[in-house]
Amino acid sequence: MQIPIEYYLILSAFMFSVGVVGVLTRRNAIVVFMCVELMLNSANLTLITYSSYLGDTVGQLFVFFVMAVAAAEAAVGLAIIIAIFRNKLTINIDEINILKW
Amino acid sequence: MSLELILSIVFGGICAVTALLVITRINPVISALFLVVNFASLAGLYLILNAQFIAIAQIIVYAGAIMVFFLFVIMLLNPESEKKFFSHKPYIKIFTVVIVAIVFVQIIYMIFLAQPSEELIKESAKSVNAGTIEQIGRELFTNYVLPFEAAGYLLLAATIGALVIAKKKFE
Amino acid sequence: MNFESLNTSLQFLKPEIAVSILLVVVVLFDLIFQNNKKALPVISITGLLVTGYFIIEQFTLNGYAFNLLTADAFGAFFKLIVALSAIFVILFSISSSEIIRCEDRQGEYYTLILGMVLGMFLISSATDLILIYLSIELLSLSSYILAGFVKTVERDSEASLKYVIYGGVASGVMLFGISIIYGLTGSTNLYTINSILQSAQLGGFTFIFAGFMVLSGIGFKISIAPFHFWTPDVYEGAPITITAFLSVASKAAGFALLVRFIKITFFDSMSESGYWILLNVIDWQSLLVLLSILTMTLGNFAALWQENLKRMLAYSSIAHAGYLLLAVAVLSNEGLIAVLVYFSIYLFMNLGAFFVVMLIANKIGSEDVDDYKGLGSSVSFLGVALAIFLLSLAGLPPTAGFIAKLYLFIALIDANMVTVAIIALLNTVVAYYYYVRVLKNLYLVRKEVEMEPVGVSFGNKIIILLLLIPVLVFGIYFTPIVNLAKSSIAFIGF
Repeated sequence: MQIPIEYYLILSAFMFSVGVVGVLTRRNAIVVFMCVELMLNSANLTLITYSSYLGDTVGQLFVFFVMAVAAAEAAVGLAIIIAIFRNKLTINIDEINILKW
Repeated sequence: MSLELILSIVFGGICAVTALLVITRINPVISALFLVVNFASLAGLYLILNAQFIAIAQIIVYAGAIMVFFLFVIMLLNPESEKKFFSHKPYIKIFTVVIVAIVFVQIIYMIFLAQPSEELIKESAKSVNAGTIEQIGRELFTNYVLPFEAAGYLLLAATIGALVIAKKKFE
Repeated sequence: MNFESLNTSLQFLKPEIAVSILLVVVVLFDLIFQNNKKALPVISITGLLVTGYFIIEQFTLNGYAFNLLTADAFGAFFKLIVALSAIFVILFSISSSEIIRCEDRQGEYYTLILGMVLGMFLISSATDLILIYLSIELLSLSSYILAGFVKTVERDSEASLKYVIYGGVASGVMLFGISIIYGLTGSTNLYTINSILQSAQLGGFTFIFAGFMVLSGIGFKISIAPFHFWTPDVYEGAPITITAFLSVASKAAGFALLVRFIKITFFDSMSESGYWILLNVIDWQSLLVLLSILTMTLGNFAALWQENLKRMLAYSSIAHAGYLLLAVAVLSNEGLIAVLVYFSIYLFMNLGAFFVVMLIANKIGSEDVDDYKGLGSSVSFLGVALAIFLLSLAGLPPTAGFIAKLYLFIALIDANMVTVAIIALLNTVVAYYYYVRVLKNLYLVRKEVEMEPVGVSFGNKIIILLLLIPVLVFGIYFTPIVNLAKSSIAFIGF
């Protein structure tokens, strides 16, 4: 039984688009970060799919690195959100606007 | 219908639905919980794709560590929910959705145009072998030892940076 | 993998190893001698000078390390630019009032600057998509934190938040593009991808899309037009030292990556006159010309209305990215020489302008162009220096900036891109207006408040002279940098 590769690729394209919509429309900085994670995961799904269909390890290795990067990025991003919350008592992107967006 | 097909449809469906729920829920806690479900079902898909090690890492690192961290920060800051999703400048948001819909259609169109499945037939034996911890570990510590070190420095920089930014006062 | 190949690989990694050891040394020193913060910049600069020695050694090398990284003169040139600007930025930091105020976090500050340097070193010589992605992230993460380093100032944390959000999206898009490229070719090595592209007919349209996604990630780093939104905000909000570093070093690394990505991945053959014939996958020339015209026009016109000098310099750096991209778009060895010449001059003039703005801001507490009114007589030395740096950025004759632009235009006209050259020329004329406006405020507008003369310490005078002399000398005697650039365009494999 063979599941066509398009099945996974469409799912990952869908998740990527949903992530982009979320980043553009949501105003809560934490949710925006969650949407970035969604985008990274869609890329991971593509990598794993191709890696599995090609029988090649490098794709899975790449996903492993992406996970490390995602963890680091989440840590830094959330630390910045905490810092900005201390200053402004809000994490709504619309209200954070001393500098023009 | 084989079990593999049924499982992948179930997991894929959960993935798609929860992704939508993440960006449409007003309360960030609920968004985060749906994201956990999304990551868990992605791990299921990885298992079907013979990527055992990554599936486990996905559960431990993403659904475990990273999402707990997100929930922790949400609880710490206790931000108010966004009252109305489409209230602020609705035309911009509708415009965004339209643009991304076009992008999505384009991506699908191109994937079908490229038709990778004609060239790529899944070789089960090879792909089972590719996903083992042994194989990944061997690649990681021989050919890709340099990115591994770079990732180490990346994590060091991120740790130091997160401390500097988040700590209230340094003694 | 045997030990012999490990040894040869490590030979090619000397600068990277030196910086990574230096980074650890700075962290440990800061932990052990907690009260001796003054020694940190000294250690960092010494270490970077040693690194500089290894980089100069690399100009004559040619080889691969771990099949992930090449050691060649082209990479060494950009590493030299990065190391030089890092040394200058550390010198600036010693007298920056913003950085002195966070006395307790000095150790972390220098560590993260070295983290950025390590990331940029890897970017400028990586030839594998995995390493490219990781080193871009190393650079980005360190710079997100440094942009918000003075976290008690609201402007800083805001700049940091905007940077991290835009950066996260850009790296997500880039990663998706990389994943498609990996899927279509089955490899992450640029040379392998090139040979696969040459032999097989791939789904061209998908590959174009993926290539554009990767370009958007690189474009974010070098702040070209559709991906430039973060630049003005981050440059205005971040501490000036970091702004200066981002505007020179980060951009240099990004351009090195862009050139390497395009030239290695899509290279077909080299024509006799030194033009690159690329594979017929993406029409890079039209795409890059379009983006660069968009970038320089947008940067120059937006700079016209800016009141804050830092923000104005941010838009001016966007415009300069446009000129540089135009030189890349020529897709020839001559264009590449123009890029290298431009960068070696841009390093001095841009860092100099930011340093003088920082010294004046230290004294008058403002970066607004209006607050510069009538300052000319009270900041005599700084004023003259700023004038020379700005005129050089504008590209007026006796300064080095003119030579940089001259080589760009010669490359354009040799490639028969006359229309584009005229558009770039008109842009340069627009740019005169906003650079000269600062000078007009400095010297021709009458003083509103009486100011006492602003003194400059001896050390800072030396730093300014170190930046000022190259700007003046290279304007007249430019053969050495041109020769250096000519000898640095050799790529491995082609």
